[in-house]
Amino acid sequence: MIDILRHFRFEVTLSYYADFVSSVAPRVFGRSLLVALATTAACLLLGYPMSYYIAVKSGRRRETLMLLVIIPFWVSFLLRTYALMTILDVNGIINVTLLSLGLISQPLNLMYNMQAVILGMIYNYLPFMILPLYASMEKLDKSLLEAAGSLGAGPTKSFLHVTLPLTMSGIGAGSILVFVPSVGEFIIPQLLGGTESFMIGNLIWTLFLKARNLWFGSAVSIILIALVVLLVGLYMKYITKGEEMAI
Amino acid sequence: MKRGIGDRILKGYSFLLYAFLYAPILIMVVFSFNDSRLLAVWRGFSLRWYDTLLADATVWRAFYNSIWVAGLTTIVSMVLGTMVAFVMIRHSFRGKSILDSSLYFPIVIPEITEALSLLLFYVFTGIPLGAVTVVIGHIAFSISYAMIVIRARLVGFDRSVEEAARSLGANEFRTFFHVTLPLILPGVIAGGLLAFTVSYDDFVKTAFTTGPGFQTLPLRIYAMASRGGVSPLLNALATITLAVSMCLALVRLRLSKT
Repeated sequence: MIDILRHFRFEVTLSYYADFVSSVAPRVFGRSLLVALATTAACLLLGYPMSYYIAVKSGRRRETLMLLVIIPFWVSFLLRTYALMTILDVNGIINVTLLSLGLISQPLNLMYNMQAVILGMIYNYLPFMILPLYASMEKLDKSLLEAAGSLGAGPTKSFLHVTLPLTMSGIGAGSILVFVPSVGEFIIPQLLGGTESFMIGNLIWTLFLKARNLWFGSAVSIILIALVVLLVGLYMKYITKGEEMAI
Repeated sequence: MKRGIGDRILKGYSFLLYAFLYAPILIMVVFSFNDSRLLAVWRGFSLRWYDTLLADATVWRAFYNSIWVAGLTTIVSMVLGTMVAFVMIRHSFRGKSILDSSLYFPIVIPEITEALSLLLFYVFTGIPLGAVTVVIGHIAFSISYAMIVIRARLVGFDRSVEEAARSLGANEFRTFFHVTLPLILPGVIAGGLLAFTVSYDDFVKTAFTTGPGFQTLPLRIYAMASRGGVSPLLNALATITLAVSMCLALVRLRLSKT
């Protein structure tokens, strides 16, 4: 790797960005964005009711339930992803159980596909969504809901017009916390995915550590950072606007 | 409020989600004590996989590397993190806000971009990759984590005790080491423990910045897992790794309550 340096010569060029367009990278980017989007949406839908469940509890019970959400954070990403592998593997607990119950005759291929990657992402990132959602719900003034109720709003209406707008900051923060790391995620697609779920993280890894193409690798990374910054910027603008409108 | 059917569904749903968060980890830990070559067929309690691990010199080597890298990272991050936290809380200077927000960068940007920025730095400065580059990389990014925790402790600090020490004739250093430091010590230790955990668990940055022959525990686990090597042996190694970070987190939790 250090040999590269000896032949290193500084020259300004955009050719690596031009290569980007004609390479496999745009497809990989599109796929990563879709996976990240699916993960974010799933975490939001799964996490919202649970955050609500925790937020309406009081005192020690609430603290304990929240601690139970945080504890998985104490286990590293790598280990959590590996733990998921022991479940989804051909010899894993799901296949062994289903086989012994006679429900299937051949082990299912649960790993090395897109679904496994998305499941792995949800499993790893769900607490990132629940924490800010919980924080926004905890602050929610319950008397507003009572007021809406006494003014004749049904549960659906008071959810759409009171709860949802007031928890928008939690939704925004949670979505960013899930979306940003999942776009660039490496470990999960590498361990749980196959060729159909090759993501930006895998591409950068391959370019840097296998192909040793630092130049194209850097261009890909810069585009990744730019994209993340752009999307987060747009989203923040939209969300803060939404909040102003709600007030 | 009356407890309707909706509440019960919500409760059942939440418990299912908790089960989803915990089941894989618990199953991994339980089956590491399984007396069977098969991954998920229970054949009685046994420590055989742990015995195999203890006899494996490469595992010991990786464990030793993980501990000393994280230990060194912790000490340096505690010292530098405290200094940075002090500057940011107590002083104002030109360009402070830019410097301040850049301190959060390592926590915000995707890990893989941190990792490759380190690699590029080493390649273009010509530092040979190995143990040294791993440690520098860990320190560079752990300072931010330590700083945030220490800073939180400094925000609510009552400065009148420092003034009292100064008026009683203690110089700045004496005041710091005998008054300020003992008071913020729980925060400094908590910050250090966080730095230790971040370093001990790190995989992506280490993988990018290591050289031939230098392996930490996460690298070892990844190398075994990526070859499709889901096995009771790897379960045992993962369980040992997990036990260390669990203990650290419990100490951190206790410290945050004092």
